[in-house]
Amino acid sequence: MIRFALAVFAIVCMVLPAGAERLFSSVSTETVQITSSFDGERLTFFGTIAPDAGAEQKFVEGPFHVVVVVVGPTQDRVARKKTNNFGVWLNTEQVEFKGFPSYFHVLASTRLRDITDVNTLTTNYILPESHAISPNPAGWWQTLNFGHELIRLMSEQDLFGVQENGVLFHSESFYSAQLTLPSNAPPGPYIAQTYVFKDGEIVARKSDGFAVRKIDFERFVALSATQYPLLYGLACVALALFTGWLGGVLFRR
Amino acid sequence: MARNTYYGTLVLQIYLPIAELSVNLFFLVGIGGAVGFLSGLFGVGGGFLLTPLLIFSGVPTAVAVASVTGQVVAASTSGALSHYRRGGVDLHLAMYLVLSGIVGAFGGVAAFDLLREAGQLDLVISLGFLVLLGFVGVLMLQESVRALLKRRQGVVVRERQANQHNWIHGLPWRVRFKKSRLYISVLPVLLIGLFIGFVGSLLGIGGGFIMVPALVYLLRVPGSVVIGTSLAQVVAMMAATTVLHAVQSQSVDILLAFCLMVGGVAGAQFGAAAGMHLRGEQLRGLLALLVLAVAIRFGLSLVLTPDDVFSMAVTSVAP
Repeated sequence: MIRFALAVFAIVCMVLPAGAERLFSSVSTETVQITSSFDGERLTFFGTIAPDAGAEQKFVEGPFHVVVVVVGPTQDRVARKKTNNFGVWLNTEQVEFKGFPSYFHVLASTRLRDITDVNTLTTNYILPESHAISPNPAGWWQTLNFGHELIRLMSEQDLFGVQENGVLFHSESFYSAQLTLPSNAPPGPYIAQTYVFKDGEIVARKSDGFAVRKIDFERFVALSATQYPLLYGLACVALALFTGWLGGVLFRR
Repeated sequence: MARNTYYGTLVLQIYLPIAELSVNLFFLVGIGGAVGFLSGLFGVGGGFLLTPLLIFSGVPTAVAVASVTGQVVAASTSGALSHYRRGGVDLHLAMYLVLSGIVGAFGGVAAFDLLREAGQLDLVISLGFLVLLGFVGVLMLQESVRALLKRRQGVVVRERQANQHNWIHGLPWRVRFKKSRLYISVLPVLLIGLFIGFVGSLLGIGGGFIMVPALVYLLRVPGSVVIGTSLAQVVAMMAATTVLHAVQSQSVDILLAFCLMVGGVAGAQFGAAAGMHLRGEQLRGLLALLVLAVAIRFGLSLVLTPDDVFSMAVTSVAP
């Protein structure tokens, strides 16, 4: 009987480990609006780590680490390499990456290598490089090389990045993270995936969505250009003719 | 418009909806104005300067080429209108050039799309600018230096040798162009239109700097109608090209084009005023040097080791 009770206790312990945590998180802005004055926007991700529902403990015990991964809409992208052919530099090699994120920023509370191991980081797509090792018909070596360069090019445009001091803990369990979305951030749906680490293991995760959208005039222009291309083209020509004519009239003396 | 002060300077940023990036408004209107000044000074559209400038400043090549076609329409309209009022446009000749030009533009826009997919658009644009500008630049420089030397020696330079015919005038299907006082075959006219339509839509240039020498040296169109006819042709053909780009590659940024137009139209007026103080062959000599400088810039970009051998492009946006 005692042995049975111990066994039950052991099972309960396994199912509900002593520190079962859950994460409450949110984003400061649900829709980032692109207007004609759009010059990037600052977003705040914040959340608190609490005991899981049904857990017996009243408070959580750290130390915790938080990693927020912000991923933009995916695109098919190619990385191309120029080589010298008889004195002329030409694009000769290229590798296409299907479903490559157009935006990828990692915010962490400390250095990623101090949070967990590389396996956890790559299998959960936390490291930017994890996108460069996904299967590709070009072969793993080319994919790795070109993927690495593609990530470098994206980082130069501020579309990819890792900020290892991006998450700030205000108390044992309350954190916030700030991210400045650049003006060239592509419009579309974004996902902020938040991971809570404790002793190198993921103990809680949550994803929050937000959208980057063109509004008003920008939305109107972008929509017309794709939905009514002929009318849009004619409007461009009319505008050009009018501007040219007006210039001639205004400046004639 | 957002007003941000960085280090005490006022920066006006404007978001371009098709290029999907934000650019300094003063920079756009500024380069539009500077190129407009030169185009007013030399009587060319200025596309051959504006397209490279935009590409170097980070605007995607496709958007730069397509939007500059719109700007060229605006830049050439006021010039074409004033020439038309003075009777300097041979509409009959312009019509032949435009019709064949539009056929060429169809080909150019299709080639543009194919090359963009194959990743060779930048290469072909660089090569095209190098060959075309280099060739025209050398010819113009030669001609203007010769004219300048002759003037110094006191020889009277005639604008047109009326009785000198070349082999082009012996071709069949002759048509009378009254205003140009020409009775020539339509074949060279159509070929010139076709070629300029193709090249213009591929490179985002009006082609005035090819059209003017072609009309003068190949067809022997009199000087009084050359510029007007060329401008009228540029307006009509670039208007058609803008619509084609809008339909096919959807990369015309109306806001970008408008900013460039405003600067360009204003700049062109000052350029035209400044041009009054220079002699024709001096102007042509200066333009030749400018054209050659751009050609050399493109040539170097092909031959010199690039700063970064890697580049990237979006092939398609996943749904």
